Amino acid sequence: MALAFDEYGRPFIIIREQEQKSRVRGLDAQKANILAAKSVARILRTSLGPKGMDKMLQSSDGDVTITNDGATILEQMEVENQIGKLMVELSRSQDYEIGDGTTGVVVTAGALLEQAEVLLERGIHPIRVAEGYEMASKIAVDTLTKISTKFEYDIFNFEPLVQTCMTTLSSKIVGRCKRDLAEIAVKAVLAVADLDRRDVNLDLIKVEGKVGGRLEDTELVYGIVVDKDMSHPQMPKHIEDAKIAILTCPFEPPKPKTKHKVDIDSVEKFEALREQEKKYFDDMVQQCKDVGATLVICQWGFDDEANHLLMHRGLPAVRWVGGVELELIAIATGGRIVPRFQELTADKLGKAGLVREKSFGTTKDRMLYIEECANSKAVTIFIRGGNKMMIEETKRSVHDALCVARNLIRDNSIVYGGGSAEIAISLAVEAAADKIPGVEQYAMRAFADALDAVPMALAENSGLQPIDTLTAVKAQQVKENNPYLGIDCNDVGTNDMQQQNVFETLIGKKQQIQLATQVVKMILKIDDVITPSAF
Amino acid sequence: MSNMLQPQIILLKEGTDTSQGKPQLISNINACMAVVDAVRTTLGPRGMDKLIHGDKGVTISNDGATIMKLLDIVHPAAKILVDIAKSQDSEVGDGTTTVVLLAGEFLREAKPFVEDGVHPQLIIRSFRAAVQLAVQKIKELAISIEGKSLEEKKSLLERCAATTLSSKLVGGEKEFFAKMVVDAVTQLGEESRLSMLGIKKVQGGTMRDSFLVNGVAFKKTFSYAGFEQQPKSFDNPKILLLNLELELKSEKENAEVRLSDPTQYQSIVDAEWNIIYDKLDKCVKSGAKIVLSRLAIGDLATQYFADRDVFCAGRVMEEDLHRVASATGGAVQTTVNNVVPEVLGICERFEEKQVGNERFNIFSGCPAGHTATIVLRGGADQFIEEAERSLHDAIMIVRRAYKNSTVVAGGGAIDMEISRYLRQHARTIAGKSQLFINSYAKALEVIPRQLCDNAGFDATDVLNKLRQKHALATGEGALFGVEINTGGIVDTFANFVWEPAVVKINALTAATEAACLILSVDETIRNPKSESAEGGGAGMGGRGRGRGMPGRGRGMRRR
Repeated sequence: MALAFDEYGRPFIIIREQEQKSRVRGLDAQKANILAAKSVARILRTSLGPKGMDKMLQSSDGDVTITNDGATILEQMEVENQIGKLMVELSRSQDYEIGDGTTGVVVTAGALLEQAEVLLERGIHPIRVAEGYEMASKIAVDTLTKISTKFEYDIFNFEPLVQTCMTTLSSKIVGRCKRDLAEIAVKAVLAVADLDRRDVNLDLIKVEGKVGGRLEDTELVYGIVVDKDMSHPQMPKHIEDAKIAILTCPFEPPKPKTKHKVDIDSVEKFEALREQEKKYFDDMVQQCKDVGATLVICQWGFDDEANHLLMHRGLPAVRWVGGVELELIAIATGGRIVPRFQELTADKLGKAGLVREKSFGTTKDRMLYIEECANSKAVTIFIRGGNKMMIEETKRSVHDALCVARNLIRDNSIVYGGGSAEIAISLAVEAAADKIPGVEQYAMRAFADALDAVPMALAENSGLQPIDTLTAVKAQQVKENNPYLGIDCNDVGTNDMQQQNVFETLIGKKQQIQLATQVVKMILKIDDVITPSAF
Repeated sequence: MSNMLQPQIILLKEGTDTSQGKPQLISNINACMAVVDAVRTTLGPRGMDKLIHGDKGVTISNDGATIMKLLDIVHPAAKILVDIAKSQDSEVGDGTTTVVLLAGEFLREAKPFVEDGVHPQLIIRSFRAAVQLAVQKIKELAISIEGKSLEEKKSLLERCAATTLSSKLVGGEKEFFAKMVVDAVTQLGEESRLSMLGIKKVQGGTMRDSFLVNGVAFKKTFSYAGFEQQPKSFDNPKILLLNLELELKSEKENAEVRLSDPTQYQSIVDAEWNIIYDKLDKCVKSGAKIVLSRLAIGDLATQYFADRDVFCAGRVMEEDLHRVASATGGAVQTTVNNVVPEVLGICERFEEKQVGNERFNIFSGCPAGHTATIVLRGGADQFIEEAERSLHDAIMIVRRAYKNSTVVAGGGAIDMEISRYLRQHARTIAGKSQLFINSYAKALEVIPRQLCDNAGFDATDVLNKLRQKHALATGEGALFGVEINTGGIVDTFANFVWEPAVVKINALTAATEAACLILSVDETIRNPKSESAEGGGAGMGGRGRGRGMPGRGRGMRRR
């Protein structure tokens, strides 16, 4: 802290524990902040695009994650620096809102800051830079809306949706079966979507994974897959037209919640108690039988005695099913969750066309498939893969794809990917900049330059000459006045993204630009950092 | 030094630090200046933010009061500045940086006089006289917006809000937020309490995705299995508000049931079930379609309600519940017996909606009105926190202006005008007072000067232009202030840079009070205990911990 001395030469102690705090102000603070943000962005730069590389992260307890997803990488890195944390939150916000483009947003923000640094060194007031960026981002969003196209889809023709999801998946490790996964994601979203309200509740899509098999074995189940098996090995493994009783009460004698004590002082009483206990089990099973249930799914466990009885009466049962799964089963089968045996009635039973237990490979792992449900509004994506890390990464990729599909159902506007949108915006902003008087003009030009970072990184990651490629595409865009030209990452031979079918959602792109600008503005506005010097 | 000759008289406990007289006064002033320097750069639309990393996490803020509080100032004289910032904050909500800056500047102007041997009381008396004149002048200059139609008034209020917001992080979207704030405040009505205005924060999305709910909104509460099977939207639902647990549980703590006959067992179990079923049945029978409770609503109840197409939410925050109550006209019940239709609330539309990553319960179109909820969106936590503080300032301003609707021109215009007036007045006074009032007038110029400095303009140049304009005999220049975009001067009133008069009045009086207070202190006695606690940072200052939980920014205080 800046020290002040009084008349006797003693330092003022103005702030608590003053000596232990460090303070950076003015341009130094801004530069330090920019540096921190830039280094975070640099880490993600190589993950961008279809040829982007993955990162391997080891957590403090030894778990290894291999991923290409920006938000996950940053989350696992446990960034300590405050400004770095802002970048982490930036990508998390993108993840929450859009679900995809988490790498792009950080790379963009990093590039914006890099450009801002140059301007600051020239002595331009940071707020003027921030305002210039703000103006530029408005132009950028307008341009995006202009170059976006809408496409039509319906339940039967979902090809465009699949194409867009494929663009998202192409950058992931699962890229080799992106077609299959994209189709699965789109079908899943369409199954649960409310097309009138244009709302998708992703909670209804369960993503389950199991080690083993190949990625190609991944399937979409119109129903629920539960990682459980029948409570008794001799129960039937295959039930058709199942009527399911969904219970949240255990198969045991009910216990009053009030503290209680049963005084047994004679043999007769003990006998009576035993009898009664036995009768409870008997009644419970009988009640299930009476309403016509052919399968019992229970949230709790049950006694061996009950298990045996259920087996004996030919009533298959599943125990220890979690609350969330129970709820999904109830939704899928149209049943009601029953908290008490007395309440069990025939119309509260869920219906499923087929319930089967499936075992995998040579292991004893079994899973329960509940299919052909009365109400198909709950689906499961069942992922297979060689190892656990692969499955986790696939889950994340599928989540991204699901989010993209959901966003398209909400708003069916798309822009073309491969950096084409960024190049188009960059051109538009640069053109607009010349018309603005004042210092903001410089800031807007810097914004335009910064936007080149994304196509540049794409080209670099694909092993192309970044500057050559970018300038060539840019010149071509201007010449042909075609905003759909981007970087040909996969060496297909054309750089028209319309022909390559590389789409991104409009809202995702918009959000990227707006969020990045917002955070950059916030970082630029800070001119004073006070921290305990332990950090 | 004379006491070296005679034996020292020990009056105070050993280690007590005393300092007195003129040097003490000067040193206090210096300490205050150091604090003022910390917030100086946050003033105005080109003001910068501060990042403060404390033990309570990180805050990025532009708000004077917040920064002062987080700096954790221990210097006794400098603490006064923190207090006036706080008082400005609670009194009017905005202008917290202004008040600190003014107080600092008054002290700076007084310093040479004190050094020259002027008795501080003389300065104080003149300053007090000056502030009275200044307040009078503000009242004269203030322009009333009373008596306009509601629509007109709204647009005027929006201008005030926009002026406040322009210096904040959300400044880029100030029109958008100004409108939102004014809508919210007018929704609340004249006599409302601030607690009826909820601000909810959801990470993700951009600022523009923020929205105002004409009613109440709160985050989906923890739910049990069965919740997803409940209907999630209603038109004109009746709402039952409870402060009651709807769970299967023991009715009385520490009660014990003793059975001697095992066959009686079932009857106890049944009795317990009947109690809860009876409660649930009464809820449903009341005709309510939505049941909210401050306490838990268990899985049994959730499923029971799902079966009967009733929506329920347990563990609703108390403030949210009260907001729902006053919005829908319902009353919170502590029992389900005798639920008469009058205690049920009603609203036009209820909906569960996805906002970012969260689901929100939204009650809109409430008949009783008087509540509004602002849902803020933003890219990062700190960002939303700061947006909330900014909106709080704007809300306070609008509320103030709504009740007490006189405004003055901002952008330093009013300060320049008062400064001119005081200079003029000073010339009519014979005696020392002339000098002091003159310096008071000079101190007021700090506002336009700092505005220019922060924006990177030549402050002297702009200030001279302003002085010339304000000195025009016709008085036409009275409304001229700093043009922040180009570095010139402009009629700020015509450009809608407005501030409520009350902000300025309060800032001036508070700053003058503080300055006078500091000037009147000529001795500080610090007992050794507090000295060690402050200085001995290495000794793990026991006082720092003993102070309990310091509030988390300003969000906490406003419940």
